[in-house]
Amino acid sequence: MVIVKRKELSFWERLYLPEVFQGLSITLRAMFRKNVTRQYPEQKLEVNEVTRGQPRLAVNADDTIRCVSCGLCEAACPAYAITIDGQETDRFIEREPERFEIDMLRCILCGFCEEACPKDAILMSDELELADFSREALVYDLEKLKRPVSALQPRLDYIYKLSNRWNSSSSSS
Amino acid sequence: MTTRQVVTIQIDGQDVEVDASKPLVDALHRSGTDVPTYCYHPGLSAVGSCRICQVEVQMGEAPGRVVVACRTPISEGMRVFTSTDKAHAVRRECLEFLLKNHPLDCPICDKAGECDLQDFSFAEGQAEGRSSEPRRSLDKRKSLGDVIVLDEERCILCSRCVRFMDEVPKTPQLTVSGLGARSTISTFADRPLTGNYQGNLADVCPVGALTLKKFRFQARVWNLRKTPSTCGECSRGCSITNEVLRNNELKRIRPRYNADVNEWWMCDTGRFALEEHSLEGRLAGSMIRGEAGMEPASAREGLERVADALRTHGQPVLLGSAWLTIEEGQALVALAKQLGTEARFVTPPPSELADELLHTDDACPNRRGLTEVGMRAIDAAEALEAIAGAEVALLIGERIIETVGAEALAELPNTVRLFSFDTVALDVPAARAALGTPSSIERDGHWVNVDGHRGMLTIARPAPTDVATLIQNFESLSRLITPAETAGGAAS
Repeated sequence: MVIVKRKELSFWERLYLPEVFQGLSITLRAMFRKNVTRQYPEQKLEVNEVTRGQPRLAVNADDTIRCVSCGLCEAACPAYAITIDGQETDRFIEREPERFEIDMLRCILCGFCEEACPKDAILMSDELELADFSREALVYDLEKLKRPVSALQPRLDYIYKLSNRWNSSSSSS
Repeated sequence: MTTRQVVTIQIDGQDVEVDASKPLVDALHRSGTDVPTYCYHPGLSAVGSCRICQVEVQMGEAPGRVVVACRTPISEGMRVFTSTDKAHAVRRECLEFLLKNHPLDCPICDKAGECDLQDFSFAEGQAEGRSSEPRRSLDKRKSLGDVIVLDEERCILCSRCVRFMDEVPKTPQLTVSGLGARSTISTFADRPLTGNYQGNLADVCPVGALTLKKFRFQARVWNLRKTPSTCGECSRGCSITNEVLRNNELKRIRPRYNADVNEWWMCDTGRFALEEHSLEGRLAGSMIRGEAGMEPASAREGLERVADALRTHGQPVLLGSAWLTIEEGQALVALAKQLGTEARFVTPPPSELADELLHTDDACPNRRGLTEVGMRAIDAAEALEAIAGAEVALLIGERIIETVGAEALAELPNTVRLFSFDTVALDVPAARAALGTPSSIERDGHWVNVDGHRGMLTIARPAPTDVATLIQNFESLSRLITPAETAGGAAS
């Protein structure tokens, strides 16, 4: 058994009202301080190229998809979110995806797919929002994943900068 | 074949007893030393053109010499060093020359993941080429007939395919044409390849130069689940590997080494028998005769229809398919005994593609096994005759409808009660129920080939949930047709 001793209140404290007003004064001060919370749907987060948003597939300026469906992102994906089927094309690069699905509910945004990609085709975009009314709608297919490469260029420059940094430091040491 | 002579040589400091009738590289591989080979294939003659299998060999007191292991005969007291600096250096130089013109399209190449060149360049870790010259530019999609497509840029001119065509099916069709950097593999006057063994070219090719048109860009090889099995397209019963993508679709069949049956090879009839296991038109549950024709039903309902017919009508005709395993054959013979009838199996017509090498003219993969368990072989005409004179007929096993002939079955009078256990539904007027059965990649068992070798079937993908194996179905049938008092009497 624990015996809790209540604090003896002083006379001033027992008057009650001064303590209430002291509390209200704190509230009042906070009303005029700078806001720290964000009104999310109206005010978006600032994203930059370091942000690992949802993976997207880059489409070249001539409307050809960069992906050759090599399956390395599928193999690298720790959450088994990616499914790819390839097909033959008449282009010089002979292979392109017939089906490319990312289950966004499985995706953990780790960026391993981007790291594995030998063609800079899958990139972590700055898109973060993910909401829908069914699970099926959140399995993104090729059409939902395609983005022009210009939209992903900042991220592409950033990952090149990163890999250059690693390469140069390893050669100098 | 030369006789085996055992001699003792030293491999990397270890004394090993090896067979001197084989080249040195064979001894190295058998002793577990990983020496890369591109032009050497154990089933073909050795030419030593790729030079990647070079090792250092010392004889007696003489200093070590670098030799190609595939062209070096073994002699007593040889000392072989596979991982000295010198051996590594020469192999790495060879690799650099091979990679000089080899395109960097591994992400596109179908061979990636099972490519010898990829594996060895990864192991040697030569990430960057030193050459500033452009790579040679050749035809990347040269069709060599209906089966094979050649990517000339990827070819390392090992000539395995040329030797395969010369030595195995003995139909020389390929050659290395052109000189120097313009050398390519080609046929005479660009004629398409012919023969029933073209598919093996894609297997012998150590890189992704020769690929199968049917498998091209269909799947990444590391996504394929590989299960050892036996080919069922003729009575040879070649050992094969079934490769299944994402647990449902059979994407590729490849030969599996079996010294007694098919060695490294298989024919295209077996290799491209993928449609036999297609999921399209597959009977996943069972169908029973309803008022509006054949209607889907549970396997239990289907089986009860069969049992009802067996109980009320005498002398059923039991016709097994030629693809029954010996285990299923035994179970069918036991069921036939209980029913007081004879178990027979229906043989498909002889194959026209038979040759001297592997493909036999008998299309029954298990004729010998089924005959041994006491089943009699009959042909489709005899089978139809037996069915037409019966009240109840059971068609049992995969491809039985195809073997007996769906058109011929459709002409049977309604008085015959037909029941089928097949991978496809039997939809003819006489049919009363059609039950699904696992195909030969969905069940296990054994087939006995024409020479008496036992080939194993393993489950490469699960059968549909409401499909029981034939043995389970025979046991259930046997229970259902046994009168209750007899069953009680037998149990007490």
